Amino acid sequence: MSVRQMSVFLESKPGHMKRVLDAFESARVSVRGYSASDTGDYGIVRFIVDDPDRAAAVLSDMGTAWKATDVLCVALEDKPGELARVMGIVSDVGINVLYSYSLISTFIALSVKDLDEAECLLSKQPVVLVDQAALARPVRELRTKGAE
Amino acid sequence: MASQLTKQEALEALRNKDYERFPIHNPDIECASRERIRAIQLEKLIQQVKWIYERVVWYREKMDAAGVTPGDIRTLEDVRKLPFTDKGALRETFPYGLFAVPLDEVVELHASSGTTGKPIVVGYNRSDMDMWADCIMRMVQMAGVVPSDRAQMAFGYGMFTGGFGLHYGLQRLGCMMIPAGSGNTERHIAMIEDYGTTVLVATPSYALHVCEVGEKLGYDWERSPLRVGLFGGEPCPPGLKAEIESRMHIICTDNYGLTEVMGPGVSGECLASRDMQHIAEDHFLWEVVDPETGEPVPEGQEGELVLTPLGKQAIPVLRYRTHDLTRVITEPCACGRTTARMQKVRSRSDDMLIIRGTNVFPSQVEDVLATIEGVTPHYRIVVENETGLDTMTVYVELKPEAMSDSFAEMDAFRQAIADKLKGVLLVGVQVRLVEPGGIQRTTGKAKHVEDKRR
Repeated sequence: MSVRQMSVFLESKPGHMKRVLDAFESARVSVRGYSASDTGDYGIVRFIVDDPDRAAAVLSDMGTAWKATDVLCVALEDKPGELARVMGIVSDVGINVLYSYSLISTFIALSVKDLDEAECLLSKQPVVLVDQAALARPVRELRTKGAE
Repeated sequence: MASQLTKQEALEALRNKDYERFPIHNPDIECASRERIRAIQLEKLIQQVKWIYERVVWYREKMDAAGVTPGDIRTLEDVRKLPFTDKGALRETFPYGLFAVPLDEVVELHASSGTTGKPIVVGYNRSDMDMWADCIMRMVQMAGVVPSDRAQMAFGYGMFTGGFGLHYGLQRLGCMMIPAGSGNTERHIAMIEDYGTTVLVATPSYALHVCEVGEKLGYDWERSPLRVGLFGGEPCPPGLKAEIESRMHIICTDNYGLTEVMGPGVSGECLASRDMQHIAEDHFLWEVVDPETGEPVPEGQEGELVLTPLGKQAIPVLRYRTHDLTRVITEPCACGRTTARMQKVRSRSDDMLIIRGTNVFPSQVEDVLATIEGVTPHYRIVVENETGLDTMTVYVELKPEAMSDSFAEMDAFRQAIADKLKGVLLVGVQVRLVEPGGIQRTTGKAKHVEDKRR
């Protein structure tokens, strides 16, 4: 169970990220989380969206340099200490997180080297992994579900 | 005997090295013996020097000062007695000081795109226009262009010699000219399809842009009527030409020329020796000299190309220093022509950059980039010395497939490019990656280098 992430090469200049966001918007691709980091001249902007296939078509049409990778997505409970608890489990089972960022609601993305192994290790732990479909739902519905 | 080839036939003939299937405009001259060519050149040189001496005060004074008279020109080698001409002479005499005919007789004026100072202005009378068209007709037929072709112009018209030069020559051959002009790429593609355009005249970088835009629009280049690309206006690296040929399914050639001696068509690429260009030798006497000393280099060795137009009347120049580095060979060519061939000009003696004491040519950067997967042939060089030390930064365009999600991998890729460049240039450079399409495509002379040093 993982979600798809689109990493886009963008020069660190005004308007370059907006071009991508505008293209997503006109194709009705909804961004569910992102992380933008830089090396000075350029950045890799990582997007997690509701519909990765549509996003892929948008990015290819634009002629951008992009790459799809899969990452784990964990649903946290909204209470103090939860992030520490989950990261503690991740470290206890020996998974090294390459990078991580938060998404809508209380979801976090974790990039790991061996996705299948990490998934297997976490499946026996009190950690809620979510898939692409869960991520596409509006936040309102997610909250309702969390309260059940 | 060459006849009109379909697109498939032309591509196949090129693959099979079936060069007889491509036309030769003027076999009488283009396939003449070396002795005959030299005899024609000598006769025209004698006339040319006389023409200039009698009509252009500036040259008469220079020749008098050098103690040489038209009567001293008895062999082709005697051309070395004459003074050189450089760009400065055309600036000094701006606008009409070197004209050899009354302005009433001049039917067209052109000017170079002039990077510094006053433009270089040149004029043509009817005879010059005929000579120019003759050169263009030879050059375009080397690429297989025939009178029934339909040629679409993507150069800008205006003072630049490329636009009207190609236009008149192609029209004289009998082609249907489609004077679209530069810009509006989608319209160019629609016109190719609607009007059945078979020949596109463009800078190579713009042709690639047309190709890319067409691909994005879903245009099928293989089924397009377009068969030939005639390039000019900027140097065309072999990698770029090959890429355009395979993606657009066309045959592309480029030609050499400069405003000061005529414009495009001084020499043209034939399909048999694609790194070389046949010089229209009955119209231009060539010399290759050491750029430092001005002395001739042995035949076949690299040096600076010096050109003397033969039979040009309105603005004839003697021994024009092109600053272009090349070598010229006179062996017959597999295409059937015997006219001398010059190696494509990759570098100019004056676009050489000196970085921390090391000579660097932009063409070396081009060569390195052509060997690297994952980058396009487009690049830009910026030279600075803010800290007192020269720094050279090469901006390189990433291809979409070279993308990685890892900063470490991207940086390793960037560093590998920098290392390869350093290995060839022998000077350390910074490499910066830019987005696909991030380096500007041009419709005129591509500006690859920005030297910000003061």
